[in-house]
Amino acid sequence: MSASPSTVAVQGAASRPRAVAPGRRAGRAAGRTHRAFSPWLFLAPGLLITLAFNLYPFLATVWKSFTDARTLTPGTFVGLDNFTALLDDDQFWVALRNSALYVVLVVPCLVFLPLLLALLVQRHIPGIAFFRSAYYTPVVASVVVVALMWVWMLDDRGFINGVLRMVGVDPVPFLSNQWLLLLSSMALTVWKGLGYYMIIYLAALANVPRELHEAAEVDGAGPIRRFVSITMPSVRSTMVLVGALSSVSAFKVFTEVFMIAGPTGGPGGADTTLVMLIQRAGTGLQGRTGYASAMSIVLFLLTLVLMLLVLRADRKDKD
Amino acid sequence: MSIHRSVAIRTAVGLGAALSLTLLTACGGGGSGKGSATDGKIEGEIKFQTWNLRANFKDYFEGVIKDFEKANPGAKVKWVDQPADNYADKLSADATAGTLPDVVNLSPDLAYPLAKAGTLLNLDKDKVAAKFKPEYLDGAWHGFDMPGLDGSYAFPWYLNTGPLFYNKAMFKDAGLDADKAPKTFDELFADAAQLGQKGKATLAQPPTVEDFGRYGVEIMSKDGTKFTFNDAKGVEFLTKYQTMFKEGGLHKQALTLTAETAGQKFLQQEVAMNPGSAHDLETFKKSAPSLYSSLGITDVPTNTGKQNMYLQGLSVNSGSKNTATALAFAHFVTDQKNQEDFGHKVAVFPSTKGSLDKEYWTKSDGSEEGKIRVASAKMLPTAVNYTPVLFSDEMKTILRNEIAKCLQGKESSKEALDSAAAQMTKLIQQK
Repeated sequence: MSASPSTVAVQGAASRPRAVAPGRRAGRAAGRTHRAFSPWLFLAPGLLITLAFNLYPFLATVWKSFTDARTLTPGTFVGLDNFTALLDDDQFWVALRNSALYVVLVVPCLVFLPLLLALLVQRHIPGIAFFRSAYYTPVVASVVVVALMWVWMLDDRGFINGVLRMVGVDPVPFLSNQWLLLLSSMALTVWKGLGYYMIIYLAALANVPRELHEAAEVDGAGPIRRFVSITMPSVRSTMVLVGALSSVSAFKVFTEVFMIAGPTGGPGGADTTLVMLIQRAGTGLQGRTGYASAMSIVLFLLTLVLMLLVLRADRKDKD
Repeated sequence: MSIHRSVAIRTAVGLGAALSLTLLTACGGGGSGKGSATDGKIEGEIKFQTWNLRANFKDYFEGVIKDFEKANPGAKVKWVDQPADNYADKLSADATAGTLPDVVNLSPDLAYPLAKAGTLLNLDKDKVAAKFKPEYLDGAWHGFDMPGLDGSYAFPWYLNTGPLFYNKAMFKDAGLDADKAPKTFDELFADAAQLGQKGKATLAQPPTVEDFGRYGVEIMSKDGTKFTFNDAKGVEFLTKYQTMFKEGGLHKQALTLTAETAGQKFLQQEVAMNPGSAHDLETFKKSAPSLYSSLGITDVPTNTGKQNMYLQGLSVNSGSKNTATALAFAHFVTDQKNQEDFGHKVAVFPSTKGSLDKEYWTKSDGSEEGKIRVASAKMLPTAVNYTPVLFSDEMKTILRNEIAKCLQGKESSKEALDSAAAQMTKLIQQK
């Protein structure tokens, strides 16, 4: 077995007569200890918080998903019973379908529409700050307030149906038809998210070299060609980021659907999403926390797979 | 061992201890410890929690607390009030963390899981509490009997039945007699059909578990082991609702409206009837004067002759450090004098024996509030709490969703009720 270079150095040093005083030697050792511990001491508060409020609840959820725990009882180990019960739960499949639909329909809108909006408001023309602020306002507004506004607009006697009645069109059952309810929730999510992603795109667009656009313009490229050939490739990484962020948000949607479709999740629970189902099963004094934990784990795995797919597609694109 | 090594070890041990402490704190204390004796001295501080009462009755409760503290020097009551929404979630968080208040305002369905978890004092089994039993109406005391737990777990507090409001103008427009409100479900369905023909909805909500009870359906088996509302009578009732929905008797958005939004539909005169309470009169007066001018007040239709009784109680935390004080205070708030005083301040009814025989609850002063008060008080002696204590929020959603599927025509009445009963029975059997 060969000694490592550091061991050799230490042995070598030990064989030579010591020129330094014992006090200084102790000081150097203390310095080494400090160097070893200091980063951990700086990290300790954050680590403790992360362990207590992120890692511990996560591990507790994983453990609970294998038990029949309830709100007030810790439960006993039941193996994969909760996961197999999920397969037989019709409401779970309805919720999974709705959450998947949310991702499929909302994410493309949240990837492309804010980019178009950012292109519109990136120009430096008088009064543009007003429009930027106006598009950003829904982001800072409470989702509950925003949802209530939408409910008032979409109601049978609301603003939109009022206008339709005025032009002789029958009222549209936005708040009683299961599909229109889901689409209305999606429209609300897109409307509320536009401003947030617009700001991200504005930052990305500021980094697109102006010369490229000017050169393409000289070569006769129109606005659409310039958008496809210059703007989109330049902000591709940002589009991936927005796609990943909005996918996770769409899978976790709760408030919009809860507010618009009602606490039962639309007529007969037809618009329930996964998080709504988790909330329904796992909260309250008789909540089935073990079963809800199993659903949370499934949601976590689905989100993880989705993220990995997005990142993989991005890497393939770069290669 | 060098001094630095020992410092490093001490630091590591310290950090480990701090981490363990943090995690233990995050875990919460679990259940409550064993409380003190109920026949001890009435002293020390207790925490008293009410459910959405501070906004309107701050002075009343502060007065009651002051009286109690005066009568029991050394006792101190800290009053907290929780908002109406998510009250069950707040209770579950407190119970899990071992911080349930010493005296807590509960309805029977909320008391059941807490009693089952051993966090509430069994009043029938406690020699001090059991002495107070004769002061309360039998029905009210037994309203907090918990299936399988052999005893009652709260001092009965206030009771309510609640009137049904109807819009006389809408009744007249549909050719109905505005002074003849439906008393039974058959009359209700007949009126709804006529209102539906004129394009007017009667109600804004599908039937609830209490409606099944009032129709005469047995909701649960006597031993509390399974739901039985899917019998022939239950199917008949839901089929009639299905017909009513098809004929326009229910509001188009009825399947997604909550109790609150359904109330708004009545306020906006989009539906002809809505259950409520005497509190609503003030709202109608202020927000919908035209509705108020044609407002009719009647009893909720029932085929059993018995109305639904809503019951509130005060439970004592079995793990309280000052159980004697908590018990004494819970009894004090719910004694005859304080219950009657509270009943004079708000349209609720005392659950103490003899209170309802008093003139205030037997003779109307001619006002609308007075008429409701006397009519409701008359119903109370025979009223029944049709909501089983085992009926959880999740079960409520299951029943409502299956009923919605039936009303939409996706399932027959029998299929919908069978499915709901099976799912709900499975939930109680999992416990």
